[in-house]
Amino acid sequence: MNAVLRTQLRGVSRRPARLLLTGLAVLVVSFVVYATVLAQTITERSVLNGLSGTPEAVDLVINNGTVTTAELAAIGKIPGVAETAGRLDAGGQIGSEYLNVSADSGAGPLSVIKLTSGRQAVSPGEITITARTAERLGLKVGSATKATFQYDDQGKPIKPATLTVVGTVEGPEDYGFQAYAPQSSVSALIADPGLQRIDLRLGSGADSDGVRNQIESIVAAGAAKVKDGQKPAVATGASVRLAEAGEKADQVDSLFEVIAIFVAIAVIAAGLVAASTFRIVFAQRMRQLALLRAVGAGRGRVSLSLAIEGALTGLATGTVGVLLALGAGHLVPALARAFGPKIESPGFPLMPALGTIVLAVVITMVAVVAPAFTAGRVSPLEALRGAGTTGSRTDIGKLRWAAGLLLAAVAVLLAAYVAKNLPGRDPKDYDATRNMLAVVASGGFAFLALIALGPALVRPVLAVLGMPIRRSGPVGRLAAGGVGGAPRRAAAVSVVVALGVTLIAGTLVGGASIRLLADRETASSAPADYELTAHGDPLITAAAVDQLKARPELANVTPYRRLDVKVSGTNVEGLNANDLNIGALPELKKLDVVAGSLADIGPGKVVISGFTADLTGLRVGDQATLSNGKKVSKLTVVAKLPDSAPLGSAFVLDPADLTALGAAPGYAGLLADATKSGEQGRTDGRRALTDANTAAGGQWGIDVLADQRDEIDKELTVLLGIALGLIGLTVLIAVVGVGTTTALSVVERVRESGLLRAVGLSRGGLRIMLTTESALYGVIGAALGLVLGVPYAWLLVKALGVNAPLSLPVAQLAAVFLILVLLTAAAGVLPARRAARVSPVAALGTE
Amino acid sequence: MQTQLAAQDTLAAVAAVDLVKVYGSGDTAVRALDGVTVGFTRAQFTAIMGPSGSGKSTLMHCLAGLDTATSGQALLGGTDLTRQSDRVLTKVRRERIGFVFQSFNLLPQLTAEQNILLPLELAGRKVDRHLFAHLTESLGITGRLSHRPSELSGGQQQRVAVARALASRPEVVFADEPTGNLDSRSGAEVLLFLRNSVRELGQTVVMVTHDPSAAAYADRVVLLADGRVAGEVQSPSLASVTEALQALAVNR
Repeated sequence: MNAVLRTQLRGVSRRPARLLLTGLAVLVVSFVVYATVLAQTITERSVLNGLSGTPEAVDLVINNGTVTTAELAAIGKIPGVAETAGRLDAGGQIGSEYLNVSADSGAGPLSVIKLTSGRQAVSPGEITITARTAERLGLKVGSATKATFQYDDQGKPIKPATLTVVGTVEGPEDYGFQAYAPQSSVSALIADPGLQRIDLRLGSGADSDGVRNQIESIVAAGAAKVKDGQKPAVATGASVRLAEAGEKADQVDSLFEVIAIFVAIAVIAAGLVAASTFRIVFAQRMRQLALLRAVGAGRGRVSLSLAIEGALTGLATGTVGVLLALGAGHLVPALARAFGPKIESPGFPLMPALGTIVLAVVITMVAVVAPAFTAGRVSPLEALRGAGTTGSRTDIGKLRWAAGLLLAAVAVLLAAYVAKNLPGRDPKDYDATRNMLAVVASGGFAFLALIALGPALVRPVLAVLGMPIRRSGPVGRLAAGGVGGAPRRAAAVSVVVALGVTLIAGTLVGGASIRLLADRETASSAPADYELTAHGDPLITAAAVDQLKARPELANVTPYRRLDVKVSGTNVEGLNANDLNIGALPELKKLDVVAGSLADIGPGKVVISGFTADLTGLRVGDQATLSNGKKVSKLTVVAKLPDSAPLGSAFVLDPADLTALGAAPGYAGLLADATKSGEQGRTDGRRALTDANTAAGGQWGIDVLADQRDEIDKELTVLLGIALGLIGLTVLIAVVGVGTTTALSVVERVRESGLLRAVGLSRGGLRIMLTTESALYGVIGAALGLVLGVPYAWLLVKALGVNAPLSLPVAQLAAVFLILVLLTAAAGVLPARRAARVSPVAALGTE
Repeated sequence: MQTQLAAQDTLAAVAAVDLVKVYGSGDTAVRALDGVTVGFTRAQFTAIMGPSGSGKSTLMHCLAGLDTATSGQALLGGTDLTRQSDRVLTKVRRERIGFVFQSFNLLPQLTAEQNILLPLELAGRKVDRHLFAHLTESLGITGRLSHRPSELSGGQQQRVAVARALASRPEVVFADEPTGNLDSRSGAEVLLFLRNSVRELGQTVVMVTHDPSAAAYADRVVLLADGRVAGEVQSPSLASVTEALQALAVNR
């Protein structure tokens, strides 16, 4: 160990807390990385041990082939077989809802369900259902419902069966359309002897191989009897369970692959923060390093010893991070188990732990190289200079300017390339991959340019955004001056904040745009809250429509008629036309047109769907000749929609034109909105429609389209929430970076704090000043992040080629800005308190 | 009796009464001030002298409200600073006291002018432009006001610091080795200015120094040794101060 390193390490050992502070970002990221590994292990283990489709008691499984109830009976008679279970699913419909009935005896070790209320299904026609199914389909224990499981050659449902719910159960899966019944009942429902598989349990002391051989010959014979029959495989229960588990683990793995991308970004952010903190720490030791140089230490030795110190920091913080994650990884499942859910402990995956520590060391090594090199170049003369003259550099060198501008230019060129190759309003055969890659690459270059040019950007940004703070008084001006006085430092942390904000802003803007797009698409498929449909005859009468219009629970009641028409000059027939009044429904205002305008619709005009345009070659401005039997109408195409027209039609035209084509006076359907928003308003509206339907004999169908809309909305919200949560990791690192920087810069400026206190700045004033400084890092970072994030998100949305509208969620972005500023301010609170506690005499006495 | 003397001395701008300051505790306790009673007359330039460790800096810190005494009184115009909260002390420092330090202690991110006006701004007081112009002119820094400290010489920095101390018309200016980091010419300029401010503006100045030639600019020298007052020299000259210091060294 050389003398320089020994001196450095002695300094470190005197203040070990400082080492952890320097590497706090690395510590956090090590924690996150290893915690992710543990979370994956926990998830996999919990999934593997969770309810599997194959119960533990199953010894042999016969599947992947033709097997029927006949073989099931034969196998049951083989000596040594204790129990058999034939498994199959019957897919049926209750009204327009899907129901899956699975075969399960409901008793014994081969059953996969657990009774929660009522009793198990025994007789034919009895079923048990899962909790969500009960909720979704509105079924209760004791209620009966009609369901169809069989269809004729034309696909029309025949022979409806009456099912009686006798109990609710918990099963391995619950998608909200799951019922169970004994195998014999399920086979009867589909009137087919075929089974999907047979599970069986052997008696104690049974000859497994012997039984297996007998089964092989039975199923082989069975398969041979059926046309195109395929001999099923006979496997042990253990191997089937393993395969099932592996499949589920794959799902978990691919989920964690996505998470890994976000963790990787957080790792990069931690590297940036670490580099910045090392720079600050080494700058503080400049005099000491200069002294070492003055007494004869070589440049290389100084740099090397600093680099080794960095590696040690990585080792220490990485290890602490891993140990903390390990603790949390064992504590959380233990706590969860105490409250019910069965979550496995992760054990101690050694290799990932070592890998994480190595990663931490590598990050810090990479981060420490540049600062160590710079610090090594310190002139020995620095040691002889008086305190206070070693000001930090405020500018950036020519090379850095050049590199930054070059990177910015590449980013701009790539963005320009994408902008030039954006698909039009009617994207056809557009390959989004190349443009999207170009956008991501451009964003990466822009970010690198930001890192290079950051110090030069801090002052202008601060000049604009810091204005209100500077105006607020001397404390504000001091804070702004403090940040502006060390622009390299401010840039280093702000850039990390900017990375987080860029990602968040991008996600929010992209999410808002996609949401608008989804709204637009649902506007066409779900143009109102409710749809009342006359399934064929009888049509809805004008009197019924008037009654519904009079109901206060309903608004925008809009009836429509339908007619199948032919387009002359083509051999396309059976295109559906409707006469919906597009202007009457607010939801349809979101409808997007590829060409023309929906406002132009009127007598003699027609709106066509994108598919119709493809089929017939019609364009906006063309004359379309529609015919129904002998009746013909010539209409002008005024608008073309992206894909389907409202109500899934090909044409929307004026009621007068539809009458001219021979449409009957009755209505095929009716759309309406609920007057009041919220659950109650929706229920009231639905009741109004049900009343009308019952009065008319109950043949019409009622669809609550608003529920579909809500579901899509909810899915998007969940996805965005997950993405934002993962980006939160990067933001966390950024906040840690701001906190560390403030803490270190407080240490460095303790004399300054002392002076300010001596000339009359109160303790609170000093706290406010330092907290404001750290908030200003957030302001600068958030501003840069928004400036980068919003345009890139727009470009990316455009490059997707889905013709999504651009959206600027101002309130959300403002909230992000505010939250980031508050978080960074909070990061400065502790260091500020510490600084304010130091007495002015002690502070002024510090060298 | 001494207590009465100090309290009755209406001319004193600042006074220490039986002031004791103990650092540490038990065996390692150090009595930096061991019952100091001394008054500093209004509109007078007083120098505090003494060997290293005599407690001269501690005395100044206690009188200026930077540090709290263990016992005794530190009176600033009748206010006992030893009994005040940090908030009150902050206000006292900001409104009634000016400081000049050995190492200038200017804020690097502020210009010379901003540095000078900082205490006034912190106090939220209006700037006396006449006084400001008079100070900067007589200190010869008018042309340097828009510069940052790093662009100024040591002498210029200290003159900015002096202007900062005087700009708020404080009751007392405390100067802690103000010439310690300056060459003799720059030091002489600063001392001359301090003496003139006493003569012309009626300013009270208390200066801690170990340099007899600096002390010779003062109206009176108070000698400190081992945390006690060890004598004083009225209308000092370089010779009389040096003599007093030598006598002090011999008596110990």
